[in-house]
Amino acid sequence: MSRLSFRPRPLDIHKKLPIVKSIKDFDDDEAPASTRNSQLLRIVPEVEHEAHVQHVPSKKAASEIPTPQFVYVDTYERDYSCTFAQPTSYLRARGARAEIGEFVEYDLDNEDEDWFSEFSEEMKSLTPEMFESLLFKLEVLDHKARERAGLITPTVGSPIPVLLRLETAMESLQAQAVKYTIIQSVYDYWKEKRQRWQKPVLRRLQPPPPVNDTNPYNVFRPREKAHRLHTRRMQRRENNVQSFEKLRQVRRNLDQAKSLLEALIKREEKKREVIESEVTLQRMQMKYKHETEFLEDNLALSGFTPFSSKFVSSEEEFFDSDDVMTNRLPRSRSTAVQNLHPYDTNLPVVPAVSSKQELKRRYVPHGWPHKLDPLEPVLLFTKPLLPDKLAMAGILPPDSITKNGVPAQPYKFRGRIGRGGRIIFDRWNSLVQTPIDCGNSYYMPPKPRPSTCN
Amino acid sequence: MGSLDAPISAENGSVHAAGHGKSPLIDVAARAAPADSTPDFDTSKRRRSSVLPLEVGTRVMCRWRDSKYHPVKVIERRRVHGSGPNDYEYYVHYTEFNRRLDEWVKLDQLDLDSVEAVVDEKVEEKGATGLKMTRHQKRKIDETHVEGHEELDAASLREHEEFTKVKNIATIELGRYEIETWYFSPFPPEYNDCLKLFFCEFCLNFMKRKEQLQRHMKKCDLKHPPGDEIYRSGTLSMFEVDGKKNKVYGQNLCYLAKLFLDHKTLYYDVDLFLFYVLCECDDRGCHMVGYFSKEKHSEESYNLACILTLPPYQRKGYGKFLIAFSYELSKKEGKVGTPERPLSDLGLLSYRGYWTRVLLDILKKHKGNISIKELSDMTAIKAEDILTTLQSLELIQYRKGQHVICADPKVLDRHLKAAGRGGLEVDVCKLIWTPYKEQS
Repeated sequence: MSRLSFRPRPLDIHKKLPIVKSIKDFDDDEAPASTRNSQLLRIVPEVEHEAHVQHVPSKKAASEIPTPQFVYVDTYERDYSCTFAQPTSYLRARGARAEIGEFVEYDLDNEDEDWFSEFSEEMKSLTPEMFESLLFKLEVLDHKARERAGLITPTVGSPIPVLLRLETAMESLQAQAVKYTIIQSVYDYWKEKRQRWQKPVLRRLQPPPPVNDTNPYNVFRPREKAHRLHTRRMQRRENNVQSFEKLRQVRRNLDQAKSLLEALIKREEKKREVIESEVTLQRMQMKYKHETEFLEDNLALSGFTPFSSKFVSSEEEFFDSDDVMTNRLPRSRSTAVQNLHPYDTNLPVVPAVSSKQELKRRYVPHGWPHKLDPLEPVLLFTKPLLPDKLAMAGILPPDSITKNGVPAQPYKFRGRIGRGGRIIFDRWNSLVQTPIDCGNSYYMPPKPRPSTCN
Repeated sequence: MGSLDAPISAENGSVHAAGHGKSPLIDVAARAAPADSTPDFDTSKRRRSSVLPLEVGTRVMCRWRDSKYHPVKVIERRRVHGSGPNDYEYYVHYTEFNRRLDEWVKLDQLDLDSVEAVVDEKVEEKGATGLKMTRHQKRKIDETHVEGHEELDAASLREHEEFTKVKNIATIELGRYEIETWYFSPFPPEYNDCLKLFFCEFCLNFMKRKEQLQRHMKKCDLKHPPGDEIYRSGTLSMFEVDGKKNKVYGQNLCYLAKLFLDHKTLYYDVDLFLFYVLCECDDRGCHMVGYFSKEKHSEESYNLACILTLPPYQRKGYGKFLIAFSYELSKKEGKVGTPERPLSDLGLLSYRGYWTRVLLDILKKHKGNISIKELSDMTAIKAEDILTTLQSLELIQYRKGQHVICADPKVLDRHLKAAGRGGLEVDVCKLIWTPYKEQS
């Protein structure tokens, strides 16, 4: 039972809980009779009925449920008529009684009835319905009179005075076809009652008790809307020009903070792009290096001299040759390519070594050696330069620079792109068609293991 | 026999001396005296005569409607009109039962031999008083802790009971039924002088005399609650009444409901509530069966404020229908909901049953793991309510470092059986309703 001494960790309502379908899974490693449920199951086979009764959770409470005490009202069928026909569509609410107008909202109470029975002994012409209607109209007229006088109180505080005068009531009630004396008697009765009550007789017109009233016998206060304003937080949020300006200032500040943050994000993104570009560049160069080694190995075996100028040209140039020189500038294949430019203007050839092209090359190992110029020397890590491209970039080979002043050079230069993207002009022996090794290039003769050059 | 006076008042002086004048006491003694001329007269007679009239707070046995005697405590007393100066009737609380059964009783229902002046008598003759006390207190404790009355501290609970201790209206007539009420309801002061009220069953206006009701019925233009019908299935209809648009109706409904709900408050106006009134309809109109109210905007995610099934319709599954309906509305709103606390004893019982049925039905069918949140999303029942339900049924257990839900079909079936029938089904496709939106 030491297990039970662990305090279970609080249950996370978002965590999926396993559902165990058999209680026996619990009981195997538990002390017997540890839970009500397991007890429940054990008892069941023996005394099914008793077990059930014992474990009805509501049993104790159920005994307290009272038998509803009511009797049928024998006059019901006379009091309520069978005049209701349910429409097929759902019933819709109509306006409240007060809005409909003609409905007499007032029902006579005991003292009205007592007064009426006394009064009608002398004056037979007044019916209870008329009496009811008169009282109702007096109430409404008085309410309107107070409304006009601006004396409608939102909540009941002090006694509510009677404002309606008999003459005014008379004028309004002329249309009722009731004798003057009757109206006068009813008015007197109503006024006396109204003053005694100190509040409107019609419940709808009675103002609610004030919010801060604590008498439990008073009911239906307005909800504390005004009260809420008394809390400090609400006071701070008063709806005036000052707080409007304050909120505007807050908004301006937030807007500024937002644009600052946006600029910051932009900067950081640029930084990341730069880093990524550098990484890509390095990768490409590494790849290119290995590629060349691979090619060279192949070539060494087959005895071909590698690199026709056409083959090593960039992918862009492949496109260009198809598209008939539509665009000399490298296409924006990727941001990586574009971002290379600021660092090295002669790099249009470098992105040629995309993985795609690499694949292409690998797939055509037997085709390409035939395109090679057999006279081309084996130059490691190099690509031939295109003179017109160089010219566009404003780079001239050393021989052309001195062309105008000095007579022709004893040797020519031949350009290529060396490791790390340098442009290298090798002196070129045009007679024997071989480069002259000057020791300043990284060119190494095709030895079996060129990796030593690193 | 002036000699008798002295010992009696001495014996019970602490009980009787204070408060009211001596004249009734002397009067009783004088009347009792001639019958007991012998010195060893019956002590019970002496007791009997000496205790009248009973003080508030007295404990005594009282004959209930089941013709058996039950212990009661006198809550209040009043003179009976038009009879002798010593004739009172007493408002008693049956200490074994809920306050709703408190009632006015006549003297002949009380067994005066069992009178105990608990106030100052520590030695109980009956021996049961102690038990009664604890039971009474236990009821309080139950209410305070189990039934969610925790927001009512002891002081406010006492205040509440003091203010509502005596029922004002004993019976009401509502449509076809004359119903005994359960609790005090703060009707306007003009109604203080009457024991019975006559309600119009449609607009719920209440009157003191039958003739007033009959006159009202001739002019009353309502045959159903003054709101939109949002559900109809067979003869059962549900109406949504806006407390702001139908203020008087809403207030009438609250006055009526308070007669049957102990911890309902009528403190605030009905403007902010919607009332969902369930009706049985026939050719006389739509007769209110029960209702629940709901705040238009609840910050505490309450989907129900008050719920009541009128006594003539109780135990027929309408309450369960109302609860299920409140959750269907929450589902349509896409919100989880919970009833406002405190729940009454009957309310808690119904809710426990509903939660048990809904959750266990899902667990029975569900395959794989499930979180409380998922259960809550499926049922619109608040996660806390799910937890308390499953924990009280001991279906959530902590095993091997994690909580698991036990869903052994046999155990579930047993709990489901105990939770009772589901009552009337809510047919969701018959609910035509859009959630309340503030009209601007």
